[in-house]
Amino acid sequence: MSENLLETLSVLILLSSFVLMANKRISSYIKSFRIQSLLIALAAGVMGVRSLLDEGRWDIMIVCILIVVLKVIYIPGLLNRTYASVRYKVEKDFILNIPILVLVCCGLVVFSYFTLATIDGSSQGMSNMQLVNSVSVIWIGLFFMISRKKALGQIIGFLVIENGLYITAMLATQGMPFIVDLGIFIDLVTFVLIMGMLTFRMNDQFDSIDTDQLNNLKG
Amino acid sequence: MKDCTPGRIGNEAMNSIAYIIIQLIVTLLAAPLVGGLIKKVKALTQKRKGAPVLQMYFDLYKLLQKTSVVSEVSSWIYKAAPYIVFATALAGALLVPVSTKIVPVLIPGDFIMLVSILALGRFFMMAAALDTASTFGGMGSSREAMISSLIEPSILVALFTVGLLSGSTSLPRMMQTVQVTGFPLAHPVYMMVGLALLIIIIAETSRIPVDDPSTHLELTMVHEAMILEYSGRHLALLEYGAAVKQLVFITLFVNLFIPHDQLIPFMGFGAVILSLLLYLLKVVLMAVVIALIEVNTVKFKLFSIPNLAALSFILAFLGILQFFILGGYHV
Repeated sequence: MSENLLETLSVLILLSSFVLMANKRISSYIKSFRIQSLLIALAAGVMGVRSLLDEGRWDIMIVCILIVVLKVIYIPGLLNRTYASVRYKVEKDFILNIPILVLVCCGLVVFSYFTLATIDGSSQGMSNMQLVNSVSVIWIGLFFMISRKKALGQIIGFLVIENGLYITAMLATQGMPFIVDLGIFIDLVTFVLIMGMLTFRMNDQFDSIDTDQLNNLKG
Repeated sequence: MKDCTPGRIGNEAMNSIAYIIIQLIVTLLAAPLVGGLIKKVKALTQKRKGAPVLQMYFDLYKLLQKTSVVSEVSSWIYKAAPYIVFATALAGALLVPVSTKIVPVLIPGDFIMLVSILALGRFFMMAAALDTASTFGGMGSSREAMISSLIEPSILVALFTVGLLSGSTSLPRMMQTVQVTGFPLAHPVYMMVGLALLIIIIAETSRIPVDDPSTHLELTMVHEAMILEYSGRHLALLEYGAAVKQLVFITLFVNLFIPHDQLIPFMGFGAVILSLLLYLLKVVLMAVVIALIEVNTVKFKLFSIPNLAALSFILAFLGILQFFILGGYHV
């Protein structure tokens, strides 16, 4: 039962990154990121309940609550506040049109399937499927980051990469040591705070957060 | 059907003929009902009373009484198109069994044939719209050509995925495989393909995000623009054909993703009746779902439709990819 739920959730997480790639507006990037984090929290919750019932371990449940607090509530809220305080002229900030971007993402999933199909130890079946899906989320996050010009889009891309790494680690190891999880979370919060601050500064200096304009600084 | 003398026809052939007749009657009688239900649900959500559910039957009856006016510059395509559209819709309806208890063994054919048959009807509809050289006809058929060419790959990929899971391209076989799957929409592959097919149904049956079936507004109409020139009997056939085609797609969806026949343990005539009733219940449910989707979305502009088509293609493609990642094993 929990295996079935986990595999469905891993497909939904992959799908949510496709939805993110197909979004046009920064407010919908933040919404999609929030949904993806909620799905990851659900996956952590499923694993947490299982480990609680089987081994009596509480740590994955705590991680699940931390994901909800940080990635579903705090970070999207912070990004929303940054977004509200930044002036925008034009919202369209992607380099290719949406269908092509999304089709390239399909190619990325095929790519990660072919790279992971031959790994020893990842047997056929469920675990392999979850691994391919979550590694694809990393690739799609990276591609999202390079396909968007505005700083906020790139922050979301980084957060998606991080989500992908996190879900890969969680599904592959069935729960990492608690201290590693905490370390990742603290890193993440620091990153988001610094990037938010930098975005504010960029907006002050250039009246825009389009990172293409940073090219003007070259001598 | 080698031996046609009375009394020598095998039991199986008799059953098949009976099944074909049941299939045709159910499809023909239920098809206008779906449109009526969707309109009624939409009206109820908007706090209106709405037209009666059987309105389309009255409309068809009225249209069949009238003479059809044909432009004198039109060619034979204009007059043949309504019959071809209706005939292809019926042929499509024969390929998709309304219930796996009713599988006419006399009719071979698979989903590739279904897609091509429906494409034939669509081709003639587009050609007929161009025939009288009216401005709206040309506009409508160019839009229809764009939408159908975008949607067709995802139909094929989605149905191929289900075909791979069931090991056969024949639609009855695919539906019989699903019967033993348990609850298919919880399975990752079926989930993706199901979502893709939902988008395909919306696009193929001219529902709101793609086309607005209830208005004759120049900016929005696609299907309506193509049949604008028709009147009387021809119009009735085209409307009826569209309704049958809509029911074909809904049948495909509900029988592939909400299997019901494993609930019926006994065989025989009672099982067929029970199975048909359950089928009609599923169609009603699906009509309500489509109406709710239609109420909750807005009409996309024409150039956003490629995004929707890309989404449905990607869902179908992810479905086929998950199938291969799972090692291609059968559920």
